[in-house]
Amino acid sequence: MPDMIRIDHLTKDYGQGRGIFGLDLSIKKGEVHGLVGTNGSGKTTTMRHLCGFISPDSGSCEINGMDCRRQSDRIMKGLGYVPGQIDFPDVGSGTNFLKLQAQYLGIKDMSYVSELTERFGIDTSAPLKRMSKGMKQKMALVAAFMSKPDVLLLDEPSTGLDPVMRDELIDLILEQKQRGATVFMSSHIFKELEDTCDTVTFIHNGKLVNTVSKRNYDPEELPKLYRLGFAGQEEYLEFKNSTAFETDSFNDKYLHLTVSVPQDRINELFAQLTGYDMRYVRYVPYSLEMYYKRVIEQGGNV
Amino acid sequence: MMFSLPLFKQSVRSNCVLWGAMTSVLSVLCAQFAALDMTQNLLFLIFYGMMTTILPGVYVLVTANKLIAGQVDRGSMAYVLSTPIKRTSVVFTQMVFLIGSLVGMFGVMTLVHLGVNQAKPLSLATAMGMGAAGGNEAMAAAVTGDLTSKMILQVNLSALVVCIAMAAVCFAFSGIFSSSKYSIGLSGAFVGVTVLANMLAMFGSMGVSGLDKFKYLTICSFYDYKSVLLSGSEWIVKLIFPALIAAAAFTAGSLVFKKKDLPL
Repeated sequence: MPDMIRIDHLTKDYGQGRGIFGLDLSIKKGEVHGLVGTNGSGKTTTMRHLCGFISPDSGSCEINGMDCRRQSDRIMKGLGYVPGQIDFPDVGSGTNFLKLQAQYLGIKDMSYVSELTERFGIDTSAPLKRMSKGMKQKMALVAAFMSKPDVLLLDEPSTGLDPVMRDELIDLILEQKQRGATVFMSSHIFKELEDTCDTVTFIHNGKLVNTVSKRNYDPEELPKLYRLGFAGQEEYLEFKNSTAFETDSFNDKYLHLTVSVPQDRINELFAQLTGYDMRYVRYVPYSLEMYYKRVIEQGGNV
Repeated sequence: MMFSLPLFKQSVRSNCVLWGAMTSVLSVLCAQFAALDMTQNLLFLIFYGMMTTILPGVYVLVTANKLIAGQVDRGSMAYVLSTPIKRTSVVFTQMVFLIGSLVGMFGVMTLVHLGVNQAKPLSLATAMGMGAAGGNEAMAAAVTGDLTSKMILQVNLSALVVCIAMAAVCFAFSGIFSSSKYSIGLSGAFVGVTVLANMLAMFGSMGVSGLDKFKYLTICSFYDYKSVLLSGSEWIVKLIFPALIAAAAFTAGSLVFKKKDLPL
């Protein structure tokens, strides 16, 4: 598969350590790629480069072989963008806005647009300025998806959405993948990244930390995490000091700890627990979030 | 494609209210000054001398900012630029809208004045301000006949070109700055100085010594209705300067907007 998006040593220095520094990234055609980072880590700056809104200090980025800054008008023919900040043109109602966007994009058949607005439950006759944050976000999503673009750049697309709509968005993203679109989305909500992304890139302070594919952060064969809550302090301490399993985290006050147990040693764990008075045993799903925390704790060196 | 029809429509939609209000006020004032006996001798002194730069000045100040800097600042420009439209087309279309709306504004006002003048002709002596404070009695005595339709067209053309120059400077600030704060601040200072200096210069021309120097501070000095009323040709020569200012300012604004980073 050829690369749809290529970011090559992209650097934009805003001073005081802000910006992005030497970012390298390539996203294959048809891939759903997530971009994770804390606030101010450079997610939006990356997106702005891809949209051709800003010029890099050095390095380059291209979409479908075209330079993002110089050929942005050609790139935009097949690109949908959900900006990180949502403020609409001053055109009155939502219907006006969507009609206008359709004209910009040369869309004549509005049936997919009405399908999308229905799906998200948007009352488009409402004035844009009166819309709630979530409603505005849904309008932005419709505007980005309406042309069925080949590439979708989504900057925190689920901001302000309720859980039901968030699931709807995940379905929609998966449908785009189905029809062969390339999706690059930034987010700090791990659930939606886990549900949609083939690959996730972590950035921190404008530098790429790591790129992991789905099987690396959610493999069946990785050790599983269990949280064990003990009834008494003595037992808690005894187990803590004697266990053969790697302790992932613990809390002396609440008398619980989390152990990392390889798949084939699960019975060993329960055998050891037999004599203890337990409050609970809970399986902790291994998530992108934990992966991310670990990455950040280790100072970005994985 | 340099011109974007959807963007033009969007600009019409978001700026039509202020345009309508300013155009109505100008037209009503124009009709009133031209029709009422009490104000006829102030038609040129007050209305054409000041109102035709102040009201369009306010309009271009607000509108030029809204056309570019306002949308960049708010972030709504992202929806325009994430479609297959070049920045050059954005800036060109917005410029066409700004100039076009001024042409429309002066067009409506000119038609109103032409109509009123047909119904109630005005002698050139009155138009020069005979009998009014600040009127030029010596010049008024030298002219004969009535105000012609051609003169009305020429005066409005002259005012229009100066207003376009003012619009171009505001537009340049709007293209250069990504923050409304700076765009509207500098445009406001520019428009303010331009119309205020024009007023002070007018008092200067009425004989208040010292104030006549203000004419060097304002591009409104290139707008010479007296020359038109005296059937001179100076007013045409003077229009070259605002036309050049407009061309330079529009070019500067466009070039910067094309090159700069947009926080969208």
